[in-house]
Amino acid sequence: MGGKRWFEVRSPVSPRRAILSSVGIWVAFFAVWIIASSAGWVNPLLVPTPAKVFQATYTLFAEQGFSTDVLISIGRVLASFALACMVAVPLGVAMGAFPAIDAIFAPFVSAWRYLPAPSFIPILLMWFGTGEAPKLALLFLGVIFFLITLIADHTKEVRKELIETALTLGANRTVTVFGVILPAVLPNIVIAMRQMLAMSWTYLVIAEIVASTTGIGAMMMRARRFLHTDEILAGIIVIGVLGLVFDVLFGVLHRRLFPYLERQR
Amino acid sequence: MITDPLLKVENVSKRFELRKGTSITAVEDISFDVAKGTICVLLGPSGSGKSTILRMVAGLETQTTGDIYLNRTSIDGPGRNRGMVFQAYTSFDWLSVRRNVEFGMKINGVAQRERSERATHFIELVGLSKFIDAYPSQLSGGMRQRVAIARTLANAPDILLMDEPFGALDAETRWQMQELMIDIAEASGTTMIIVTHDIEEAIFLADKIVFLSSHPGRIKEEIIPDFKSAGRLKNKEDLLALPGYGELERKIMRLMREEGHKS
Repeated sequence: MGGKRWFEVRSPVSPRRAILSSVGIWVAFFAVWIIASSAGWVNPLLVPTPAKVFQATYTLFAEQGFSTDVLISIGRVLASFALACMVAVPLGVAMGAFPAIDAIFAPFVSAWRYLPAPSFIPILLMWFGTGEAPKLALLFLGVIFFLITLIADHTKEVRKELIETALTLGANRTVTVFGVILPAVLPNIVIAMRQMLAMSWTYLVIAEIVASTTGIGAMMMRARRFLHTDEILAGIIVIGVLGLVFDVLFGVLHRRLFPYLERQR
Repeated sequence: MITDPLLKVENVSKRFELRKGTSITAVEDISFDVAKGTICVLLGPSGSGKSTILRMVAGLETQTTGDIYLNRTSIDGPGRNRGMVFQAYTSFDWLSVRRNVEFGMKINGVAQRERSERATHFIELVGLSKFIDAYPSQLSGGMRQRVAIARTLANAPDILLMDEPFGALDAETRWQMQELMIDIAEASGTTMIIVTHDIEEAIFLADKIVFLSSHPGRIKEEIIPDFKSAGRLKNKEDLLALPGYGELERKIMRLMREEGHKS
């Protein structure tokens, strides 16, 4: 450790210690779980061992066609999220670029943000029945208003000097919006999409638990009926892994789309 | 023969409305003109409205009263005939240096071939040939301002407006940029208005200094640094050695101090 103390305010951690630390916390977590479940501190029916959960995960995929449920869930998230982006990106950019448009939509959009999307489930079921529509509608409602607000805010942050530079170079309104404001805000739009996609997964589970016979959430509710806690935990893990995978993919996409941001001196 | 000045500012005032009923006069009854091919420096303490004047010439602000003429045509909004370089970095981060410099020409319909030639020329003029395919995030602050200058010049404006363009740069880069502006003025004959509060910069660059008083901004004095009788100087140290320089610097410092005591 040298003369240096083990932890200091704002003192950087070496890569080696960073890896050790991050592995350590997970080792500790599983250790507690294993000890607690095998030593009989907890009811094994309610808290299965990690081994049992991983066994259940394997069985689900290998023997019970769980991959169909997973694909259905992914499809729901992606379809609803694509719809949300198709509305939010043009509207958010327009709101950020034109105060006149912002004045119309901002009071409406910000009010909707305070209405919890799950509270719409009963009425969505009445409107759309039990097919895919109510689930997609819930996921859409859950993210759309936040996505619009985030994109509008990022667009408003595009520096005034960039816009004025374009104007003094002879840009008209179209060029200013599509040639300067849009490319300037695009990296932040992708970041906003990344954040909101994570939120989409939350609403997916709510939609599938409450009103679905297919998908990851529905599997978990079925498992509950048969006291298959291992399968419920398997479902949680699968959702977590999927969320992580999509987040990483978005990170890769961001680096690919905007290489010029990466080359900081 | 007396030729009309390229730019004419006539009795311009600008009042900003604040809350209901109150307003603040930023500049009052400003008149000056800029002859073609000359460098005019707007100098004054903060609060003298020099940036406001420049922004009105650019068409980014509208004067409350008075008129501004470029080539005898009244100015109405921003346009490509008045190019502007800001103090803040304005490089388009998503475009390479070349594409940045081509931007104005592209949106104004200059053909690809000519665009490319002109961009290459102006990038060379500002000394960035080695970085033509680099992205702005790879460049230093001074280099980014060079990109902004090349981009503005390549768009062939009638007048180049610069709002404290070197204010964010370190001292060394700053005087290199000042010398670069002299090189550009000599090479291309570009007419410029440069806003600054740096006295040395003003004397070095100016063919004419318009000195402004503050609160509200009024023209206090027009100063011709005629001690530079042999014309513009390429090196800053030559300026400091010239007889008459110290005297003018002291004179402007006194003017600045008077304004300082007033507020």
